[in-house]
Amino acid sequence: MSNTKKTLSRTSQNILKIDTFSCVRCGLTVSAAAGDGIRRNHCPSCLHSQHVHDHVEGGPSDCQSRMSPIAIAVLRTGDWMVIHRCVRCDELTSSPICADDNQLILMRIAVRPLAQPSFPLETFGDL
Amino acid sequence: MPRRSRSAHERARANRRPQRHKDVLHRQGGHRANDFRCVGCRLDVSSDAPGTTHRNHCPNCLASLHVDRRIPGDRAASCRGRMEALSMSVRPDGEWMIIHQCRSCGELSANRIAGDDNALILVRLAVKPLRDPGIARRVFLVP
Repeated sequence: MSNTKKTLSRTSQNILKIDTFSCVRCGLTVSAAAGDGIRRNHCPSCLHSQHVHDHVEGGPSDCQSRMSPIAIAVLRTGDWMVIHRCVRCDELTSSPICADDNQLILMRIAVRPLAQPSFPLETFGDL
Repeated sequence: MPRRSRSAHERARANRRPQRHKDVLHRQGGHRANDFRCVGCRLDVSSDAPGTTHRNHCPNCLASLHVDRRIPGDRAASCRGRMEALSMSVRPDGEWMIIHQCRSCGELSANRIAGDDNALILVRLAVKPLRDPGIARRVFLVP
């Protein structure tokens, strides 16, 4: 029994290893497995994702449209999460970043609130 | 250069989507029926906010309550958990949005900031990703 389960998990690992998807925005063909063997859910080049899972109801979503990265969240452990928003139905998801994600775009999302402040930040220099 | 950026800003402001209409009657139930006490800091908050028609978080600690499901103001969620500010995002027109996450079910929501929100807490939230000391190494600023 355990042997069967082992074989199954190894098969799924192998499928993950050879599985690829193409990014809905930039068209880059990416391997589904990230460097450390976990399944990736966004394109490492443009960080865009696809809306395949319904988070409010649960289960697969029938939206299937593009999700664009809008924010960087920091966990208590210091790990970064990228927050995606569906361009069609405005659903939000969060997912951990991978080691080979485009650092330039990650950094651009992280500094965007400070680059476009909605109120003057000069007063904080006095604190 | 500044002139060009200003015109781009004005253009973004001109074709901005108007604030979503809410079907919920806020004035039902009499005077100040929708004032609330914050779940995070117990501050009594009035429902009229400067700059926005939907007060959905505490202006002092930015905590919110998980009451809406998909449409803002529908009050359809049965969770009622506490939602805490997770990160800051910017809309293409320069408007800051707070990303809230529910502490009990993990649901995310994005809300506009109000005019009387605590600016210090907002800026702390915005610089949170940049506080990490390993970040300079990650973006190859230092070897």
